[in-house]
Amino acid sequence: MNAKVSATIAVIITGAVLLYGVADFPDFGDPTSPANAGVEGGAPSASLHFINESYKETKVPNLVTSVLADYRGYDTMFETVVIFAAGLAIFVILRNLRSDDPLPEPLPATEDRFIDGDHQRIIVGTTCRIAIPLVQIFALYVVAHGHHSPGGGFQGGVMLGASFILVALGGNLRDALARLGEDTFMRLASLGILIYAAFGLVPQFLGRNFLDYGVLEKIFLTDGPEMARSHSMLGVEVGVALTVMSIMFAIFANLSSRGEMRGGL
Amino acid sequence: MADQFPAILVLAPLFGALLLGLVGDRDHRLCLPVVAASLGTSLYAAVGLLRRVLAEGPVNYFLGGWEEPLGIGIVLRADSMNTPVLVLVAAVALLVACFSRRPAGARDSEKSPQYYTLFLLLCTALFGITITADAFNLFVLVEVSALSSYGLVAIGSSRRCKIAALNYLIMGTVGASFYLLGTGYLYLSVGSLSMPDIQTILASNEAAASSRAVRTAFVLMLVGIWIKMAFFPLYGWLPNAYSYCPSATSSLLAPLMTKVSVYVMVRVMTGVFGLDWIFGHLGWNHLVVWFAVVAILAGSILALAQRELKKMLCYLIVAEVGYMVGGAWLGDAGSWGLTGALYHILADGLMTLTLFLAAGIFAKRLGAIEIGDLSGLFRKMPLVSVGFVVAGLAMIGVPPTCGFFSKFYLIRGGIESGQWGYVVALLVSSLVNAVLFFRIFEIAHFGKNPPEGHAHHGESEGEGHEAAIARVAVPAHALAPLLLAAAGIVLLGVFNGPVVDFLRESLPAASAAAPAP
Repeated sequence: MNAKVSATIAVIITGAVLLYGVADFPDFGDPTSPANAGVEGGAPSASLHFINESYKETKVPNLVTSVLADYRGYDTMFETVVIFAAGLAIFVILRNLRSDDPLPEPLPATEDRFIDGDHQRIIVGTTCRIAIPLVQIFALYVVAHGHHSPGGGFQGGVMLGASFILVALGGNLRDALARLGEDTFMRLASLGILIYAAFGLVPQFLGRNFLDYGVLEKIFLTDGPEMARSHSMLGVEVGVALTVMSIMFAIFANLSSRGEMRGGL
Repeated sequence: MADQFPAILVLAPLFGALLLGLVGDRDHRLCLPVVAASLGTSLYAAVGLLRRVLAEGPVNYFLGGWEEPLGIGIVLRADSMNTPVLVLVAAVALLVACFSRRPAGARDSEKSPQYYTLFLLLCTALFGITITADAFNLFVLVEVSALSSYGLVAIGSSRRCKIAALNYLIMGTVGASFYLLGTGYLYLSVGSLSMPDIQTILASNEAAASSRAVRTAFVLMLVGIWIKMAFFPLYGWLPNAYSYCPSATSSLLAPLMTKVSVYVMVRVMTGVFGLDWIFGHLGWNHLVVWFAVVAILAGSILALAQRELKKMLCYLIVAEVGYMVGGAWLGDAGSWGLTGALYHILADGLMTLTLFLAAGIFAKRLGAIEIGDLSGLFRKMPLVSVGFVVAGLAMIGVPPTCGFFSKFYLIRGGIESGQWGYVVALLVSSLVNAVLFFRIFEIAHFGKNPPEGHAHHGESEGEGHEAAIARVAVPAHALAPLLLAAAGIVLLGVFNGPVVDFLRESLPAASAAAPAP
């Protein structure tokens, strides 16, 4: 049996199984569905708890953030670890650490491979120079305001990473690496998760469980554990943003220079 | 301190990994001490947790302090089913870390900080998978374990190990996606991600329990886990990935990844859906046992066909996964099949570790990749041979090694549930293992072309009628883990009674049955 036929059969079977299950789904948007209102015989619905109580318990208006960064903060920490592990895996596969190896071919390290002539370079360069600060400021806003409005560490981190990629695309990778060197971004990636995990670890030293931010009121000197939770969420978002930014740029730098980091796009 | 054991267990390797990420490439000599210290801490916490569970019963740990109502936060739960697995993971990881003084091929040895970072992340994930009581958190940690193991496989210097890693990545991603889809279906139907909560709902709410979406969820999750554990038709990624990667990687992945996946399957069966639901609402548990029979036979036959030692061991893993899946699905009233499957997770973890460590030593010190290259092994490396022989005998199922007792419990489950095909498959597989290992012992003892009519058992004392073969020195850091693992095989076998009694505390149907022999 050739691969196409067997793949088609596998896809059809999977599709049939999925459709078989869909028949019993609750209606779209049904407020009494199990996910929205819980089920008889089970624990009280987590969704209702988040909707009704999360502002009282965490003082964070954006309940998506309070679920992600507090109630299920342990998951989010490991999501960040997933990104970190992906960056490391790409590093170990692509990166060539032997500086004495000859370059595979004279790499297009200079500005004039893709862009002909000075006037185009001026257009691209100027646009990037204008855009990059704006992107970065907006990214910082997204990170810092994540617990009040849509956004957060992942989104802001991606934007920050994109701004460095833009430096490399508009000029060249060497310029970008001069601003954010490999030593720095690989360490920043670890540092980001370390910041996150530290917000979990400090409560353990204060006699509570991992990630129990409420007890940090003793350190933040807030009135009540709720504000301490809110502040901690901002802190962990900053950690997430650092890791995501570094790994975004690390992946780009490794891919675009074929692991050489000595030129490239 | 003791209250924090569940978190310390998972966090020690995570902090170790982050520390290596920060300072590892300043000084490569930092790597091993950091790895050993963090895994040692985890082992200490795992043993502490085991003692606590022995004394007080299951331990719940509420992350973020979100205790009430159940299901808003994530809970870690240690009970008599997962604490032995936690101890196994910690012990195996620590032994492999000692073994892995030079992990990658010469070309990539400058990446050892990154290698060890991934190594520790993998351990973090395996601890997290084993201890979590949350269906979605399990997925996140499966992702961490998968991504770090792709890196660990691909770091090998040969080209084919990168291709094996790519295959592994594709299959692993498909498996994880199936599991995630299943979790989504389940969440839509019961509105909860907490494992004990889901089980309560399915046990008490008939509408949810008989829903087609829940059945679909179960099938999807199961297929995802089967891909991860290389259950028979879905095993294609395993042999290449485990045999072409560096020895330290295969010694870590082979004993732990499939075994932890088997644990996940047992946990999903007993702790999420519940055995009553599975054997009450699904009519196809016999079919799964027959799949397991095919897996055992196919794995054994494919192992017979291999010339490379590591490849052969990989196909034996496929057969062993069949043992465990079959045992878990027997559904006998006394839960002996499940008991055997859980016990075999521990037994097979130690056996596979010993065999892969030995294969790693053979490859490095003798350049022996193929079985035929092992001639004169017993005189070249007597101590390594002892460990290898113990593990081989355990794979065959010779008492008092743990391999005998796991087969004993699995066969008891097979007989009590009337699944004779499974019993026969187990016996056939033992015979095949005997053929495989005695063939190796013969080559190791007599050389490649043994004289006719010799049927000696492969014990390590040679008679010395051939020309003296020079001994090959094996450094202590490689030898000690091997011998400790071999000792573990015997100890786990000798003390099978208390271990099994402890494992059975967690099995619902087992409480009424007769005590272990």
